Amino acid sequence: MLKRIESLFAESRDLTMHQLKNDEMTIEIAYIETLCDGSKVSDFILVPFTKQQQPFDEIIKINPVYEPLDDPAKWTDTLLLGFVLIQVKDKIYKLDAARIIRNENPQTMVETVITGPQIALSEDVIDSINIIRSRYPSPELATEERTVGTTSRTRVLLLYDKRSVDSNVLNMVRKRLDRIVVPMVTASGQLSRALGDRYKLFPTMIITERPDRVCNAIQDGKVVLLLQGSMFAIVLPVTFYDFLSAVDDQYDSFWMTRTLLVLRYIAVLLTISLPALYVAIVSYNPELFRVQLTFSIAGSRSAVPYPSFIEVFIMLLMIESLVEASVRLPKYIGSTATTVGGLILGQAAQQAGLVSSIMIIVTSVVAISNFVIPINNMSTAIRFMKYPLIFMAIFFGISGVTIGLFIYFVYLADMRSFGKPYFRIFSKTPSQSGDIGQVDQG
Amino acid sequence: MNRYFYYCVTIVSMLNLMLFVPYLLIQERYTGAVSSMIAAAVGGSLIAFLFTHVMKVFPGKGLPEIFGVFFPKWVTAPFMFFMGCMYFTSGSMVLVGFSVLINRFLNPDTSSIVVLSLLSIACIYGATRSTLSNIFIIEMGLIICAPLIIMILFKSYRSPSLDWDAMRTVAQYWHHPPKLTSYAAAVYIFTGYSGYAIFNRLNPPNFRLRYRWLIPLIGCFIMVSSFFVPIGFHGTETAANYLYVWSVTADSMTMEYGFLERVVFIFLLLYLNLTLVYTTNVWHITMELFKSCLPGAKPEIDPERTPLSNWIIAGVLGLITVMTTYFLDEKQNLAIAKNWLILRVFVEVVMVLFLFVLSIGAGGKKRSA
Repeated sequence: MLKRIESLFAESRDLTMHQLKNDEMTIEIAYIETLCDGSKVSDFILVPFTKQQQPFDEIIKINPVYEPLDDPAKWTDTLLLGFVLIQVKDKIYKLDAARIIRNENPQTMVETVITGPQIALSEDVIDSINIIRSRYPSPELATEERTVGTTSRTRVLLLYDKRSVDSNVLNMVRKRLDRIVVPMVTASGQLSRALGDRYKLFPTMIITERPDRVCNAIQDGKVVLLLQGSMFAIVLPVTFYDFLSAVDDQYDSFWMTRTLLVLRYIAVLLTISLPALYVAIVSYNPELFRVQLTFSIAGSRSAVPYPSFIEVFIMLLMIESLVEASVRLPKYIGSTATTVGGLILGQAAQQAGLVSSIMIIVTSVVAISNFVIPINNMSTAIRFMKYPLIFMAIFFGISGVTIGLFIYFVYLADMRSFGKPYFRIFSKTPSQSGDIGQVDQG
Repeated sequence: MNRYFYYCVTIVSMLNLMLFVPYLLIQERYTGAVSSMIAAAVGGSLIAFLFTHVMKVFPGKGLPEIFGVFFPKWVTAPFMFFMGCMYFTSGSMVLVGFSVLINRFLNPDTSSIVVLSLLSIACIYGATRSTLSNIFIIEMGLIICAPLIIMILFKSYRSPSLDWDAMRTVAQYWHHPPKLTSYAAAVYIFTGYSGYAIFNRLNPPNFRLRYRWLIPLIGCFIMVSSFFVPIGFHGTETAANYLYVWSVTADSMTMEYGFLERVVFIFLLLYLNLTLVYTTNVWHITMELFKSCLPGAKPEIDPERTPLSNWIIAGVLGLITVMTTYFLDEKQNLAIAKNWLILRVFVEVVMVLFLFVLSIGAGGKKRSA
């Protein structure tokens, strides 16, 4: 065995191969040292083998941690996943001794809630499943394992509730997972891009780190994908509504959370349409507003020497770079960037007559309402949506903005997340008869 | 699902304001409009009930499939083509009318052809989507627009400038016998059910349509408002002077609190949205009807990829719409709309009665089998 393994691997210095002897027999072991936990190797192989309280071949037959591995073609993959290969009397066994470096008990960082669990999923899938299973102790919870990535061979786990999952969706996910040909998959975002249509404007899968969101999703009959090495799970299929509901909505009082939900929809509408509306109203349809308001807007623009859309582009460019900078900067400098950019630069730009004061308000509203969206990948998608509308406003004014919004609605209504309608009210309804969205699409 | 059916009903009745319906009614306000409206309320609801009964007998089947059960293809194809043209005309007329309105109120510097092309492109895009998507488009359009439109209607009733005496005066002419033109105009408000000629494909076999009494209720409320409110605002005589009478009526209202003062702008934007939704749906129905004429047509509710034929048919529809505006002026449009409404009454009655007879036959077949 050892010779064959040696020939399979190129120069890997961390490949460890030993021939061990005791009084009774000779065994051969092979593992990649850097991937394996040394204490596990010694606890499960070296110590019992040398102590000889029981013949080693019997131990290996009784103890289920050793699994037989018959196919020599799988040797390389098994070794690379952190297994130890053991040859005892011409039979090959494998032992999981992987040592995975990961963050310990991570706290939720991206998607925070006030009440509710603060622990996030782990970067190790086994720990993540532990977290999920302890919150969802049901025999119906099924797991399937796949690998994706031709080079990275990343483990992917599918989790779903056997009873409530939609079999069409499940088949679609399996089919798409098998079809992925990407060399490297290291993050959930990568996987979601490889799974879905990459040119869609809106995300069709939720990427979340929250175990409670994952458990709720499983309970609703959704499929969850966990990726080895990423603390983010992918939830699918989803609707637009799911992206705007925070987990908190299930913990707090009913009426307050409904109001917050309405607030979020208003925020989405504002962040998408406000820059376009500004352009349309200032340059195209000033008669729309009541006279006093139009005068005050025009007055605040009196120092600005160029048309409104250039003003909008200047401010949006600034705010977008500010957001981008505060994400990329080290944490300690991040807050400084926002203060300098937002407060000082904004104020100065207005006083210098580069932009109007109304425009500063518009920009701030756009930026703030964009962050109201609870899920990050939706919030980035929404960030993009305002630009096409600005172009419609430049050429067609307020009617152009309305037509643009209509096209967005059509686009959303036409989207499907794994064959399920994406944009409809009452998305919470589980599969039941009568609803048009549930019509069999065969 | 029930609510989708009533979306179709509501959107058509709300949209009548854009389709010269109030204009045609007000023209005959002394000579039979009121009695025509009463007749239309009865006749329109009756036909709607008959049609929903037919759709109940053939669940999951659109108009082409129902005809396909009884007749060979060479009989159904020309008929479907004709029906498609009927639907198409209604959508295009609304769109052309609205492009003129936008040109007049919102974009005076842009030519109405440019605006119409833009509207057409949006509608072509919408119409090529799947049937399932189209029903969602109606849902979203109505959820956004309907509350505000109802608010405007409510506001109009509460307005101090509304002259109830003028309305009462016109109402006293109720004893004149109904006229065909005003009957045709009024009965159009009740034809929202006709969208189900295609959308019935979406209904599952166990579907049951409930709350059918809502059809006359919604229709009558909107019909009465769309006829009497302009008269109340402009007086019995002047109301007949305006072609787009409702945009002028909306302009008679003001809002005291808020950014906007003139209600007409909200009204126009809401109706722009409704017009787009309506035309999208009607063109989609037209497209599906035309597609059923093609050889080897198979109805699909929600195909994964948009077929090329969708784009071609919808593109041609849009092109025809833009071309007609280029060649026809507003008066000719009005004449076409009037004649179309009258033609539609006969087509509707014949088709629904015919379908009803077919459905009785099908029911008999089922029982014997």
